[in-house]
Amino acid sequence: MTPKQRKLAYELITNPPHGSDIAAAKEYGIDLTLLVENLDLTVTQRLRKLYSVATFLQKVRQGNGAGR
Amino acid sequence: MIPDPEKFLTILNRAAVEYVVIGGVAMVAHGSARATFDLDVCYNRSKENIEKLCRALERLHPRLRGAPKNLPFRFDPKTVAAGLNFTLATDSGDLDLLGEVAGLGFYHAVYKSSALRHVGKISCRVLSLDGLYRAKSAAGRDKDLEALKEIKGLKDLKERLGEE
Repeated sequence: MTPKQRKLAYELITNPPHGSDIAAAKEYGIDLTLLVENLDLTVTQRLRKLYSVATFLQKVRQGNGAGR
Repeated sequence: MIPDPEKFLTILNRAAVEYVVIGGVAMVAHGSARATFDLDVCYNRSKENIEKLCRALERLHPRLRGAPKNLPFRFDPKTVAAGLNFTLATDSGDLDLLGEVAGLGFYHAVYKSSALRHVGKISCRVLSLDGLYRAKSAAGRDKDLEALKEIKGLKDLKERLGEE
């Protein structure tokens, strides 16, 4: 994202246009800040982040299982 | 177990397998913040492609995920041709192979609703947000309601930012 797009993105998620899908997502409880963070990444970076987070979560799950 | 998407897709690409990335990994590729633990791909069910797919995955020892260990299963062209959708565990992670995607259809319809994306050093087809919306709507699961809201919000946001 360019600095201009980033600024617009934060404006859109802070005050979503009335009746928009952004507003509906926010009202539903979707964390729009996470979406903007991801849009600031390349597709490669998004998938590497997913792999890192999912691997970590899996280790946490396995750790919890082993402790029972 | 989550597969490393880049590694897995590299294996499929090297074997020239025709596939489209769908599901949670496709959502993340578009910017979704949802975590997923498997890789879903829709594959072309042509005889040639099934053979390539089986050859590519052979060394990862695909087996049916969640099935009893003594249940006989052989991942070969005959088995894949006789089936359609497979939920697999492999030595490199969990992989769902779909011959048909609810709401979209078979590989060629899914392909039409996809676009080329670059992941590291490789390129792959990834299902569009519209395609993901149709697929998740058709699946009709309660857990997809949140995903549907996120997809629509994400699409709206991207359009307003001039990103596709």
